[in-house]
Amino acid sequence: MCNNYPLLTILIFLPLAGCLLLLPLWGRASLARMVAFVVAVFELALTVWLYASWQGLEKMPTRLPGYLLLEDAPWIPSFGIRYILGLDGISLLMVMLTSFTFCVALAVSWNAIKERAVLFLALMLVMETGIMGVFLSLDLALFYLFWEIMLIPMFFLIGVWGHGRKIYSTIKFFLFTMFGSLLMLLAIIALHLLHAQQSGTATFSLHDLIQTQIPFATQLWLFAAFFLAFAIKFPLFPLHTWLPDAHTDAPTAGSVILAGLLLKTGSYGLIRFGYPLFPQAAEAMTPLFYTLALIGIFYASLIAFAQEDMKRLIAYSSIGHMGYVAIGIASWQPVALSGSILQMANHGVTTGALFCLIGMLDERAHTREIAAFGGLWGKIPLWSFFFLIFSLTSMGLPGLNSFVGEFLILAGTIKQSPLVVVLSFVGIILPLIYMVRLVQEVVFQQERQPLVLMDLNLREISVLVALLVLDVWVGVHPAPLLDMIHLPVQILTGVVP
Amino acid sequence: MTSVDLMALTPLLMLAAGSVLCLLIGALRPGIYLYAAAIAVVAASLLWSCIVSVEAALPGLSITPFSRFSSVFFCGTGIVSLLLAYSYNRRHGITGEEYPATILFALTGMAVACAATDLLMLFLGLEAFTFAFYILVAIRRDSARGGEAGLKYLLNGTLSAAILAMGMALIYAARGTLKLAELTSSGGTPEPLFLAGCCLILIGMAFKLSLVPAHLWTADVYQGAPAPVTALLSTASKGASLAALILLLPTFGTWDGLHDILWLLALFSMLAGNFAALVQSNLTRMLAWSSVGQMGYVALALVAAPTGGLKAAAFYLVAYAAAGLAAFGAVSALSEGEEFDAIESCRGLGYRSPLTGAALALAMFSLAGIPPAAGFMGKFAVFAAALRGGEIVLALVGMLSALVAVFFYLRVVVVLYMKPSTPTIESVRVPDFSEKVALFVPAVAILLLGVYPQPLLELLEKILR
Repeated sequence: MCNNYPLLTILIFLPLAGCLLLLPLWGRASLARMVAFVVAVFELALTVWLYASWQGLEKMPTRLPGYLLLEDAPWIPSFGIRYILGLDGISLLMVMLTSFTFCVALAVSWNAIKERAVLFLALMLVMETGIMGVFLSLDLALFYLFWEIMLIPMFFLIGVWGHGRKIYSTIKFFLFTMFGSLLMLLAIIALHLLHAQQSGTATFSLHDLIQTQIPFATQLWLFAAFFLAFAIKFPLFPLHTWLPDAHTDAPTAGSVILAGLLLKTGSYGLIRFGYPLFPQAAEAMTPLFYTLALIGIFYASLIAFAQEDMKRLIAYSSIGHMGYVAIGIASWQPVALSGSILQMANHGVTTGALFCLIGMLDERAHTREIAAFGGLWGKIPLWSFFFLIFSLTSMGLPGLNSFVGEFLILAGTIKQSPLVVVLSFVGIILPLIYMVRLVQEVVFQQERQPLVLMDLNLREISVLVALLVLDVWVGVHPAPLLDMIHLPVQILTGVVP
Repeated sequence: MTSVDLMALTPLLMLAAGSVLCLLIGALRPGIYLYAAAIAVVAASLLWSCIVSVEAALPGLSITPFSRFSSVFFCGTGIVSLLLAYSYNRRHGITGEEYPATILFALTGMAVACAATDLLMLFLGLEAFTFAFYILVAIRRDSARGGEAGLKYLLNGTLSAAILAMGMALIYAARGTLKLAELTSSGGTPEPLFLAGCCLILIGMAFKLSLVPAHLWTADVYQGAPAPVTALLSTASKGASLAALILLLPTFGTWDGLHDILWLLALFSMLAGNFAALVQSNLTRMLAWSSVGQMGYVALALVAAPTGGLKAAAFYLVAYAAAGLAAFGAVSALSEGEEFDAIESCRGLGYRSPLTGAALALAMFSLAGIPPAAGFMGKFAVFAAALRGGEIVLALVGMLSALVAVFFYLRVVVVLYMKPSTPTIESVRVPDFSEKVALFVPAVAILLLGVYPQPLLELLEKILR
């Protein structure tokens, strides 16, 4: 078995080890950058290798159906907490997204972060550890630990290297997430105690807790606490207000990670923990979930239309796009759920790319006001090309990745809730409006301010090409990824026991 | 007294003898070397308690695993505090031999309090270390704040001592014995006199733990006392009081009022402490109010004592003590001449004084209960115990006030790392070696307990059985 090596532990703690490597390099930024990037690339290579061998791994039997790799060891027996890690198709996709996004984030901030660069790199690596942990933990207490740990580096990232009202934004971000998480912690402990009462064993292991028989009223309360924590991260209307602030004031790398990964921890948490643990409560809450998602789609799109700051516009569009992911999860049906999971990765790539592009423009022009630009097609054609492509993706152009995800979500949901799908179809038009406006004003039209801009350099082009390749690949040939998440989705939705 | 008894008592005797000798030798040859000697004595006592595992039951005192663990804890905090004072006191002109002698005396009192088997001994131990703190708080004779703090502590303290003594007297009048074991076993319906005594004792202990409504001295005393003294006062003294309370709790039997009183103490302490800390602009005052809130969580664990709350309370206190030592250690290491006070004066310290800044930030994360710091595991234990005891309302209030607390703890981190440092501030002093050790040790403890709390939890389970 492949489990001779604790691969998942390595996956989680390799970045942390890299962070320790950085300590002796304090003050030698360029060398530290290389080291951090090499660590991130190594991590990416590891996940790609896992991807290449997932079919082989699937044939090996594991203790839990659907899981490719499992690790289990006692950690704090006094509390009943175990160190349980598991990798299935969904986690693998998320883990790949994580390691890829961190490579992108490190590459894109190569020259942007000049002050305290080593601290920045160290925090990035710590965050990678935290996020990897979130996507791999199968013990609720362990999951919660990683869930909180990933906040601290992001708190510093926005607060130290951000712009504008960075302190306000970072505190808001932290308090919002803490609010949800603390209630979730209570719910986790309560669930643990319920299980202990019923079965006599104290455990936080997800797959033991799923067996717990919970009375409906209790289930509703506990699910509400989980839902709140995940909905804040998602973010669902009306809990989204931290996101535009955090995105706008974060440095580019921070925005890329926020949009690409932190939002996904919310939807991932709902898929992995919220729904399987409290199926009846989740079903009862479905109408509410649909409503919030739809309001989010419309509301965020309308607000996005009114934005003058490009980054803020993309931030709002993010809320709208995550609304579709929410709809796919709410319908809890294999096709729609696969669409949601795929869309989580797609959104990470697309929005990440848009934030990268805006960050690159910001580095050159030192402004992100839409009104400052115009006619960029003539001045920086390469940048404009990429910007156009990723904007088209964001609008859901067939052949690019967003289309696939959104199509699957709506196709899966239509049987159950036709009304929701009809309304979401209307919602699809809205991104068209604000993105067309954005592209038209920035890329085309007349030049409004005489800015001297350099076009993209080789480093930036390679980052964007990598993103574009993924964008087109998933858009044209999503089947391998869908195959990978097929079995876990079937198990989650109860099609396969 | 057999030789085994003597072996068991040796750590206590070391501290007491060290204190007296320190005063005597200091009279002949005063000097800063006495601090080093005191540290050596405390370290020897600590090691003895760790290594020599003998138990003894003497009249009034019994050396048990619980008392040995507590002594180790007190000695540990005492060493850190002395290391801080070694440098701090030289800067502030506190040169007399009375300082190390009084610290040793305070530690003796704590060691007695946690080993007591009757109410009288318990009272003696508690008042012995409180008495030592009356002196320590006001030890800077030139400082007006110190004098004020000393007087406030003295007045409040004597009042609480009187209440405590009265409570014990009432219990004696009702039951005719002072022995804790006999009080515990003589169950039955508690008579009114006994209950009145219990109430008075709880109020007296609430003062020592600075639980609302007996908390009013905390902010002024923490602010006025020298930082190394505050470091000890906010950690070891709280620990000794908790140890005494843990010894006392069984005597109250199955009396419902105990639950209700602790419930109220916990509720008001969590709310008042955390909300009052929110509006402080002074670092030590903020920490003082926050410690009121933190003790509220300890009280929350005590409410759930029948369902494993004692272990949670003890663990929480150890985690809190590590953070408290790091925080007040940072304050102590940063203060030069003027007492280092305002939160805003920490601007940019995270970069200019990396070790001190990091220790302070880590302490803040731990107090806020954010992993991987020890405070998180403490909160986890406390809330698990509370929910197991069915205290859902109190747990919810605790969680929400913890959220409030996150805000003011983060504010310190924000000032440390995110606000540009003002150019007018003169260079920050570099911590001495002793201070580096005193900051490093609690910081490592915070991380270790946060990542792998199992050994301590197991130990607590064993000694609190």
